[in-house]
Amino acid sequence: MGRIQLDHLTKRFGETVAVEDVTLDTEDGEFLILVGPSGCGKSTTLRMIAGLERPTDGNLYIDGDHMNYRVPQNRDIAMVFQDYALYPHMTVRENIRFGLEEEAGYTAAEMDEQVEATAADLGIVDLLDRKPGELSGGQQQRVALGRAIVRDPEVFLMDEPLANLDAKLRSQMRTELQQLQADLDVTTVYVTHNQTEAMTMGDRLAVLNDGRLQQVGEPLTLYHEPANQFVAGFIGEPMMNFLHGHADDETFTGSGLEYPLDDRLADAVGDTDELVLGVRPEAIDVRRADEATGEREPGPHEFRMQVAVSETHGDQNVVSMTVDDEETDHDALRAVTDGMHVVTQGDSVVVTIDPETVHVFDGETGETLCNRLLETDPELAAVSSN
Amino acid sequence: MSQSTSRSPIDVESLVENFNYRRVGKYALVVLFLGFFLVPLETGIMTALKTNSAIARSLPFAPPAGEGFTLTNLEYAFSQLTNSFVNSLLMAVPATLLNVLLASMAAYGLTMVSWRGQIAVFALFLVGVFVPYQAVLVPLSQFWNNMFPLARMLEPLFAAIPFLQGGHSRLVPLTITHVAYGIPICTVLFRSYYKSLPNSLVEAAKIDGASITKIYRRIVLPLSLPMFGVVFIYQFTQIYNEFLFSFTLITGSNHPAAPVTLILPAIGSSTEGIDFGIRMSAAFLAALPTIILYVAFAEQFAKGLRTESG
Repeated sequence: MGRIQLDHLTKRFGETVAVEDVTLDTEDGEFLILVGPSGCGKSTTLRMIAGLERPTDGNLYIDGDHMNYRVPQNRDIAMVFQDYALYPHMTVRENIRFGLEEEAGYTAAEMDEQVEATAADLGIVDLLDRKPGELSGGQQQRVALGRAIVRDPEVFLMDEPLANLDAKLRSQMRTELQQLQADLDVTTVYVTHNQTEAMTMGDRLAVLNDGRLQQVGEPLTLYHEPANQFVAGFIGEPMMNFLHGHADDETFTGSGLEYPLDDRLADAVGDTDELVLGVRPEAIDVRRADEATGEREPGPHEFRMQVAVSETHGDQNVVSMTVDDEETDHDALRAVTDGMHVVTQGDSVVVTIDPETVHVFDGETGETLCNRLLETDPELAAVSSN
Repeated sequence: MSQSTSRSPIDVESLVENFNYRRVGKYALVVLFLGFFLVPLETGIMTALKTNSAIARSLPFAPPAGEGFTLTNLEYAFSQLTNSFVNSLLMAVPATLLNVLLASMAAYGLTMVSWRGQIAVFALFLVGVFVPYQAVLVPLSQFWNNMFPLARMLEPLFAAIPFLQGGHSRLVPLTITHVAYGIPICTVLFRSYYKSLPNSLVEAAKIDGASITKIYRRIVLPLSLPMFGVVFIYQFTQIYNEFLFSFTLITGSNHPAAPVTLILPAIGSSTEGIDFGIRMSAAFLAALPTIILYVAFAEQFAKGLRTESG
């Protein structure tokens, strides 16, 4: 039950292509996250699964049944909307009960019982006789969830359900939603533009950009082995550093930077001329210049830089740096350092980038040429880089 | 001396400071318009309450004094209008209710349900708004008298109803005509309101498994109650005050089914001239139902207008 298959799904609105050729398969009971920047087609994809939009091309199956022409009423799905879409003239009880009324095989008493049980699960029994307008955002959110789960559908669809909550409530609801999904074991498709939500909640993520599916995989796979530069930049906070440049004689030349490519990287680069090097901020080692090398010349993978901004987060510091003797005004690199390791603005630092941590992307297509090596499982990285 | 003036309760200085010609102009204009709208009304009420000789002797807008005051005008006008009040309400209330309900359904179907060709159908509704009544009078009377004489068919039925006569059956085609001609404008009004409702409510109901009719009954209809108030008041006033269709389909003031608008032009005029007291009394009595409606629904009216624009 509840297996969703998208087969070359395409949606066009007039001339605009909202979703292009998306093929995707969920497993039963999976928590799949559609993630991407605004306008990437993730909501349209979800609305096609819901039946609120009709696909222009391609096929959609839920549980093996062809769904393209089936109205939402007959799809056995439940959806949580970003604005919750609670019926303002009904009480919470009536809101939750509304969907049950159409399900076959319930007596009125059973329906009431079901509503009470769901409300108890979500801790909203006290609110049952209030109207949505009298509830806080978090309470409305719970009612919307209650309305979805009371019907025990094959599939849950959630369209940015946490977007309207404040930060604290959001992280709390995040955990609760995960718990709930695990308990119910119902296939869930969850749309968000927030990569933290995506990383923390999903069994798998599907990253979309410009209507195209970029990559599908488990959160850590996407983090360590992005299929292209877009995924690499989208997943991870702060964002991966990208250095644009050329490859000459096993050396990468960017603006104010020269980085020798070791054998692994050089092999992957091959004949490609335009390159983008990607390094995660947390993979960059930053030391104050006087501590690091003293008067010694920096090694091949070390650079002298100047701290432009240092953001303190407590557990970590995010340091933006510019190339030392360079007139460029943009920050060359961002690094994450340990919370106790404080550098201040204007400090001279030595930056070390381990070649094992470097991703290489094709400068023109954005395709990944080579991903970083993982200490835990170097074989996996080696496989994916081929 | 100077001390006592500065302590006077009226702050003359600030009054002078606030004085400017723009303000004076503004207030003068307000007073002018207030007079422009209120004096005729006041004159009408005063005239209704005066005897004929008092009307002739006193200023039109002066209140009746002593001997000049009378209620006979009102009593007479009321006795003349009683029947036509019943006729008017018998026609206008069902016509308005049907009209508003059908228009809201049409607007729902044209706005919140998507189907092929709905723009073309909506265009027809828009055209309907602009059809002048005068242009359809002849076909209308042809249709109801020759092609489909519904009034004649229903005459025996109406004759059997107590307090009514067979002639009252003419109110039925009149009612239907009003419903038909009122739907376009009411549909446009409802449509603009439905456009402003969040789409996700209907979508949520669809996903909850509700059919198109259930969505209308349980979600859209309850949510459009404020708009119902607005459109009901508007349309009731239109139908109640309408003259041409009544004149065409019921023909004369001495017909038993004549509504208020047919009686009004004839009342108070005789060979001796026009009795202004009776005319004014009749006019105010005739306006009473719509005024009551506005007062009763004022709150909902304001709410509906607010939600429509907001």
